[in-house]
Order: sequence, then C-alpha cells, then structure tokens
Amino acid sequence: MTRPRRDPRAERAAARTAGAERPRYDLGAKASASRRPRRDPRTEAASQRVPGAARLRLDRSQFGVVPVLAAHAPERPAEKAPPKPVIVENPDFLVLVAPDMAGGRLGEHDRQLFGAARELAGKTGATFALVGAASPDLGPAGADRIAIAARDPDAYDPDGRAAEIVAAMRALDPRHVLFAESADGGDLARRVAVLTGEPLFADAEQVSASALGRPARCRKVEQRSAPTRLVTVAADCVASYAGAPREARLETVELSTDRTGAAGAIVSARLIPADPATVPLALADFVVSAGNGVTDLDLFARVVAALGATPGASRVLCDAGLMPRDRQVGASGTVLGATCYFALGIAGAPQHLQGVADCEHIVAVNTDLHAAMIARAGLGIIQDAQLVMPAILKELERERGDRP
Amino acid sequence: MKLVVLLSVGRHPVSGKPALPRTEAQAIRIAAELGASIGLHVGPDAFPAEAALGHGLDRAVHLACAGGPDPIGPLVARIATEAPDVVLAGRRGQGGEETGLAPYAVAARLGVPIVPDAVAIRPAGDGLVEVDQALPKGALRRLVVRTPLVVTVHPNAPAPLPYAFGKARRGSIERVDAAAADLAAVAPAPEERPYRKRPKMMRAAGGSAADRLKAVTGEATAGGAKILDGPTPEDAAKEVLAFLRRVGVLAPAGAGATGPTA
Ligand SMILES: Cc1cc2nc3c(=O)[nH]c(=O)nc-3n(C[C@H](O)[C@H](O)[C@H](O)COP(=O)(O)OP(=O)(O)OC[C@H]3O[C@@H](n4cnc5c(N)ncnc54)[C@H](O)[C@@H]3O)c2cc1C
Repeated sequence: MTRPRRDPRAERAAARTAGAERPRYDLGAKASASRRPRRDPRTEAASQRVPGAARLRLDRSQFGVVPVLAAHAPERPAEKAPPKPVIVENPDFLVLVAPDMAGGRLGEHDRQLFGAARELAGKTGATFALVGAASPDLGPAGADRIAIAARDPDAYDPDGRAAEIVAAMRALDPRHVLFAESADGGDLARRVAVLTGEPLFADAEQVSASALGRPARCRKVEQRSAPTRLVTVAADCVASYAGAPREARLETVELSTDRTGAAGAIVSARLIPADPATVPLALADFVVSAGNGVTDLDLFARVVAALGATPGASRVLCDAGLMPRDRQVGASGTVLGATCYFALGIAGAPQHLQGVADCEHIVAVNTDLHAAMIARAGLGIIQDAQLVMPAILKELERERGDRP
Repeated sequence: MKLVVLLSVGRHPVSGKPALPRTEAQAIRIAAELGASIGLHVGPDAFPAEAALGHGLDRAVHLACAGGPDPIGPLVARIATEAPDVVLAGRRGQGGEETGLAPYAVAARLGVPIVPDAVAIRPAGDGLVEVDQALPKGALRRLVVRTPLVVTVHPNAPAPLPYAFGKARRGSIERVDAAAADLAAVAPAPEERPYRKRPKMMRAAGGSAADRLKAVTGEATAGGAKILDGPTPEDAAKEVLAFLRRVGVLAPAGAGATGPTA
C-alpha cells in the first residue's frame, strides 16, 4: 500500500494568501480542505453545556449538536415571566377532546389525551374540549377552546354523554374526536362509534399528524392508518402537552340531544368505594405508612382504621416481620398510585421515595428535620410519631364527641 | 332467567393457539350460575362452541358460514329469536382486531342498553338485574338495569371454571347455516406490520443524574411545603387532619363515619 508522497513546499505555496507584501500563509484553510472535518473541542464542549446550572456541567450525551452559545448567561429571570397563552384565532379545523376528568380533575391520562390532540391539531388546528366542569388546568394542558356540557357530571348516564358528543360533532364538525382508552372513556368512544356508524381507531399507542398506530392480534402486529375521525388513546404512550399554555376560551355549543331507544334503562347507580383495609396497595387512594420510627404498631393500626386509610410500611418493618410483605411501599415493594400519602417515622430513602413518586400530596411526621421524606412532603411535622398518633386519635374522638 | 353468551375464536396470548378468550370463559361462568344459557358463535369452525361446553354451558349454537364475515348480522338475528334477558360478551376480543366494538354494535342493533365491565350479575326481580361494574382503583358501581340488556365482562370477574372434557362431550351443539342475507363483509383491516416494542415513556428527565433521580422519586414536583418544627402533638394532629380534609381523602368533621371503627 503506497501513499502519495507529500510535498510540503507545494502545500505551503498553495496556502499562501495573495496580495500581502510579506509572505502570509492561511494554514487553517488547508486543513479543512482535507477529507475529514477538523474537530473543534471548544465548540463541542460549549454545545454540551447544560444551560442554567451555576457550576459548569457538560452533558456528554449531546454529541454533534449545533452549539447554543447564547445559552451561557443565567436564564432564570427570563423563564420566570408567565408565558403568554397561544391563541389560534381562526382554526382550519377542530380536534374534539372528551377527557374523563374523574372527580372534575384532569388526570395524567387526560393530559396525555390533550398532548395527542395538540399533535393532531398542529399549528393551524385547534383543540376543543367538551368537559363537565371548567378547570384552570385545561389551558396549560393544551385546550384551545372549551365547552361545558349541560349534563350532571356525577350522574351515570353514558348514553346521554355519547348523545351529547354526537351533537357536538354535528355542531362543530371536528376532523378528529379523541377519547381516553380508560374504563369510562373507552365505553363512551364505542357508544359514539356505534351511534355515528363511523370506524373507531381504538387504543392508539402512536399518534402523529400523519399516522396512528395500535397493537392488534395479542400485540403480535401493529396496525397503522392515517388519522381517522374517532380515536381512543392508550395510557402512558403519548407525551402530554409541554408547550406554552393555550387559551382555553369558553364557547357555547348547541348540545340538544334527541334521546331515543334505550335511554332510561338504568334504574339506579350507586358507587361502592373499595374497602381501604383490604384493597391492594397499588389501587389504594390514601395510604398511611409506618417506618422504623414507629414502635407501637397496634396504635398505628388504630390510627389507620380511624382515618379510613390503607396501611403501608417501609422495608425495614417488612424485613423485621412486623408488617406483611404485601404492605411494603417502594422500589422493591409496591409503587403507589395514591392521591395522598401519610408517612410516619420514615426517613425517605430513594428506594422508598420511588414508590410514592406519583402521590400528589404527602404528609410526613419525623423527628429529623433533614429527613428526605420531610423534604418531599407538602406538610412536614417535626415531632415524635409516638406522640402524634394518639393525638390524632384523640382529635378524631373529640370531633365525634362534639357532634350532637 | 334466560341468557346468551357470545363466543369468539381467540388466540392464546403466549402460544398463539386458538383458545376461548378468558373474559368469555368468565362470562360463561356468570351465565351458568344465573340460569338457562346458551352459547352463540358465528364463523367457519365450531371450536369456540365446543370450548364453551367444556367451561360450563349445556348448549351452544354454531351459526356456520365460510370465510371471516362480519358476525353482527347473524348474531342479532339469532338473539332476536331466542329473546334472552341478558346477552353476555367479553370485554375485548383476543387475537383479532381487539377493538371491542362488537357488543356495542349488537346492543345498538337490538335496541337494548349495554353495561360494560361487569364482574357480577344478580337478578333483582321483575324484569330487573343488578350489575356490579368494575371501576379503576378497586371501586365498584352497582347498577340496577331493566332487561333485556347486553353486558360485557371485565377480567376482574370470578375466574373461569376449568375446562372439563366430559362436560364438553355431554353438551349439545346445534349447527345451523347462517342466513346469507345477514352476512356482510368486514371493513378491510388497516396496514399491518410486526409489533415493535417502544421505550416506556418517562417523566421529564433532566440533564444530570441528580435531576433524573429527582424526577423518579417525585422530588422535582415537591414545593410549597409547610414545615412545622416541634409543634405540640395536639397542634400537629389538628394540622394533619386539616391537610387531609383539604386534599379530600378524609371526610369533613361531623360528616359521619370516616373509617370502619368510627
Ligand atoms: C435494593 C434495595 C431495595 C430497597 N427497596 C426498598 C423499598 O422498596 N421500600 C423501602 O421502604 N425501602 C427499601 N429499601 C431500604 C431503604 O434503603 C431504607 O433502608 C428504608 O426505606 C428505611 O426505612 P425507614 O425510613 O423506615 O427506616 P430508617 O432509615 O431507620 O428511618 C427511620 C426514620 O424515622 C425517624 N424517627 C425515629 N424515631 C422517630 C420517632 N419517634 N418519631 C418520628 N420519627 C422517628 C428517624 O428520624 C428516621 O428518619 C431498599 C434498599 C435496597 C438496598
């Protein structure tokens, strides 16, 4: 293998810049003329710099990204200003969204639904949410327009709700109608599909403006199609909307429904909540948990029963055999989906905190002000758990006694 | 009470072999405990009808037809002549399109209400049934509904009865050719390709390992905390109860029982 012999003299002559009296050479230009581009470690490092950090931090996974040199200045004050809502004045088309909004609150799945709707609406379309009650979360979640349904949101009347959505579809002529593939949302979508006679793209896992994807045949194949009119979106597959908040302008829609047929077949509907004492931890809504700081477990059991909560424990108690293993909260126990978590004498090890990551509200009682559990809590109480537990029982007792 | 269970050809989720979908076997158990029930299947082979006999039915009807047509027409025609009080079906198919639309289409064509996700059915006298509907987080909704109606069965319903070979031999299958007038072609399936697993969606991950740990333990979302350093236990208890009431997990004071001991 022979390489052509370099001729330094000729190379130097080629790099000579014309016009100058003294000989000047532009050796940098020559280097870039070779086949491989020259690396510039300085700009690479600049592009890997994590913006906003006080100390210099480089994110090495960002390789070959265009340098963002402007990001060097601390940007915190600029981010603090409340972002202006995005307004779509004359949308080309509408994407109707029917979120579940269980209990009048926007759940995680509902937010993902709005994320999918924004994806389909793009820049020129608008998302239109048909909700039971207005909520300040709708704008940030990605709703351009909202309309309030006339129906009582707590009554169980799926046929009425489906008829209302069909009426809204008639009034607004949306390009897409999105439902959550949940117990109620999936039911509603199928009712609407049967009422309108249109095909339903159920359980979509990939949503983009050009195509939808869903699993079929026991997850052996995935079906793809251009976005259809009726779509249900699977949970935890589509990212929720993360852009600037939307306008959430309130509009009125004619929702007159001509109820015929099977309406009124449901004589009564009664909600039976799960028994908190026996419900599996993963399904519980309110968990009271004991850690190594709790010594009187009989007292703990009485507090849990009096609060109507589901008992939980940290790994230390489960390892010691003081609590059953199925009560362990955390990475190697159960990951909770509870609304509220009440931790008594728990330090808050990362393995434990992973189990409560989804809990919205956390109360912690600990003798240590610097425990991680206190840092994570919405209400932290620095006090002995053995003293707080009887005080809670006494307080509940007193409230019951106060009542005539 | 008279019941009809809709049967379909499913695929076993692991082996891919033909199998009766689990929710339909659960529906058979519910139906067999309630009264005279028959199974109903539309399709080229009698396999689901045989499986249904083994899981607890005494009689099944196989509406035979060639190919894979839309089963709704023959099903509705046969259900109309049987005139059952309750029609039971699985929640979703298994191994096919899995859209779960068929029970809704049947209910709409029959003009009867549909109740999804049942875990138990009890007669409630005089043309009424009580249906327990499974809800997320272990809750139930107890509905009293007028018959006739269509009910789909939730996977949380009682486990199916085991397949018994003798029972399958003793039961009878009535084989009828489906009327050609009832058959309609199915809509063509969308483009299919082998399933590809995609990475699980993560909570917003930050740049550094510390940020990612914060995201996974939920510390990133914590904020606006109220810390009471060394309150008297009585004050602490009041604060805790007030907080629990504010977030809505504890019934307000004086609103009645809050727990089993109250
Ligand atoms: C691979 C692995 C997996 C793990 N998985 C899990 C898991 O899934 N779940 C889990 O919980 N742990 C798990 N752990 C264990 C975890 O790391 C911690 O050891 C454990 O969570 C600590 O439990 P604790 O907070 O109850 O006990 P400690 O760490 O002993 O903390 C006790 C806390 O109570 C406070 N305290 C003491 N006395 C009182 C009092 N009288 N009143 C009030 N507060 C008091 C103390 O200040 C302290 O903060 C795992 C560990 C490993 C290595």
